[in-house]
Amino acid sequence: MKKLIAVGLLALCAGCSSMGVEPWDRDVLAKAEMQLTTDALEAATDDHIYFSKEASSGGRGFGGGGCGCN
Amino acid sequence: MSKNTNQKSISATLATATCALLGGTIAAPVDAQEEPAWDFNTSLLYYGEDNDRVQDASISMLARRTFYDDRALTMGLTIDALTGATPNGGIKQNTPQTFTRPSGNDVFTTPANTLPLDDTFRDTRVAVNASWQQPLGRLYTFNVGASASKEYDYLHLGANAKISRDFNKRNTTVSAGLAFAADSIDPEGGAPTPLTPMLDVDDLSNRLGEQDKDIVDLVFGVTQVISRNLVVQANYSFSDSSGYLNDPFKIVAVVDGVTGDVIPRTPPSGDVGPSHEYIFESRPDTRTKHSLYGQAKYYMAGKVLDASYRYMTDDWDIDSHTVDLRYRWPINDKHYLEPHLRFYTQTTADFYRVGVVDGDPLPSHATHDYRLGEFDAITAGLKYGWETRNGNEMSVRLEVYQQRGSIPADRLIGNQVGLVQYPDLDAVIFQYSYRFGR
Amino acid sequence: MRDRWEWVLIKHSGRNGFRGMVVAALLLVFCSTGIAADTLELSNHRGKVVVLDFWASWCVPCRRSFPWMNTMQEKYGDDGLVIIAVNVDNATADAAAFLQEYPAKFEIFYDSDHQLVRDYAIEAMPSSFLIGRDGNVIDNHLGFKFAKTDEYEAAIVAALGK
Repeated sequence: MKKLIAVGLLALCAGCSSMGVEPWDRDVLAKAEMQLTTDALEAATDDHIYFSKEASSGGRGFGGGGCGCN
Repeated sequence: MSKNTNQKSISATLATATCALLGGTIAAPVDAQEEPAWDFNTSLLYYGEDNDRVQDASISMLARRTFYDDRALTMGLTIDALTGATPNGGIKQNTPQTFTRPSGNDVFTTPANTLPLDDTFRDTRVAVNASWQQPLGRLYTFNVGASASKEYDYLHLGANAKISRDFNKRNTTVSAGLAFAADSIDPEGGAPTPLTPMLDVDDLSNRLGEQDKDIVDLVFGVTQVISRNLVVQANYSFSDSSGYLNDPFKIVAVVDGVTGDVIPRTPPSGDVGPSHEYIFESRPDTRTKHSLYGQAKYYMAGKVLDASYRYMTDDWDIDSHTVDLRYRWPINDKHYLEPHLRFYTQTTADFYRVGVVDGDPLPSHATHDYRLGEFDAITAGLKYGWETRNGNEMSVRLEVYQQRGSIPADRLIGNQVGLVQYPDLDAVIFQYSYRFGR
Repeated sequence: MRDRWEWVLIKHSGRNGFRGMVVAALLLVFCSTGIAADTLELSNHRGKVVVLDFWASWCVPCRRSFPWMNTMQEKYGDDGLVIIAVNVDNATADAAAFLQEYPAKFEIFYDSDHQLVRDYAIEAMPSSFLIGRDGNVIDNHLGFKFAKTDEYEAAIVAALGK
């Protein structure tokens, strides 16, 4: 199962090389509301509530997207 | 060509210079991210369940200090106060039931035909976390952090690290993260030995000392920019917990194999104690979880749709699906509305049961904690955000959260049918947030 | 090696025959609709060292680079340094708001049709090209890092010295 997921993610990466936008076209992606986690505090609050009331937790949250600057 | 070039060059230079001047007077709202040295995000939260169940009020603060060259320090603090009652794992009966409090100091009684709730949960929790972000070279970013939380009987200590690397002109980001947590629990009276009976008041003979729980989390993720308006992310997470994974306050009823009624008992004379037979729950001492998570953020002429899905499966036989949808809808450039819808469903843990049958050999694990049962949950909410006069952000959100569960018919015996139900949950969430810089 | 600025000039030679008196009337059109003046005349600056910096209003490191570029322009302008900041915003109004907060003491060129960024094959924002007195590209750096400003300055000084 784990191997399948690893292969899947790698395949995703390989296919990714042709997708995307030019560095100068990232105006929309740079907006605060287009970040993957817009409100870190709200996300942390929700994670805590659902962790306390359900059997699943986490799963989300890394970087990427955004203005792609520097 | 040279003559024309000269003329064009003069006009071009003039054009650019004047554009700059003119542009200066046509001040339009800048949509770019402000970057104050300090960014503070504070919130007040109220969470309240119906039927005298759990209520939580908390205040949180997240402070982010950015430094030159994409380095940042983030610090967070949350304080919450918890009150109210929670189902203790006992089942509804036609007669009142008396339970010894987890502390062993006292008893409490649940009326007939009422879901037993334990209200021992008056507690305050303080949680802190800090993390440092550091670029390594141009394309790598490294994050390291620590977290800690303390409540009366629970201590959490954790450390985490994450590294990410950009590819394809930063259209693709690959990340890997690792987190460790060392938690310890020492409830008043002591953590009970799993599967042992709930004893009379002041009898702590089946209690253990401080118990530990260790957790290792691994996350691998890929973020991909699909188009100018669409960014997606996919993560795989692995989590492994080991140690004392039981909830020390939860019990399982000992029931008659035919009627399904909880076996009554009488405490020895002179003692005060439980009116029926109950045993403390027992969960395995390890738990392995795998999750797959996918998220997409899509921009459509000012509105943003945030859609995510998570699948979780573990070795307790629990599978869950979560779909989360948010739609940010700007009313004008200073106000927005954000409706939110979340769907959640989970299957029951394989050791989840209504009760243990008196006379049968004890199972290796047993729980009646509703959080390990089979249920669906819906959250529906609305958030309203606005920009204040001094350019800071405020928002309020109101959400309702509902859990509706079921107990498989083959797990109900005799009189339990119709009487014992999944303790449906209805809760309201209200949060006020204020975000400011400098 | 192909003479870079000449190649850019050829690529950009647009319509012929705009007279100076028509320019004023068209300025408003250019500025408000974001149609950039379509020629970046690097040939004007032959004999000078040119720093061609690509920036956008939404680019956070660009905010840090502007004060530094102002310092460079003031310090080395007399020695022959010309900084041209090329804006890539789709709407020049966004660039204007940025410039109000971070005023520039150097030339701004508007590349809202994104022709120049393609010609220079920009790989990151911001991007900076150091062009020598002979019109050849000496160096380029991706991104703007405070820790590297000494390096950037040294490269400019070396180019000016040659």
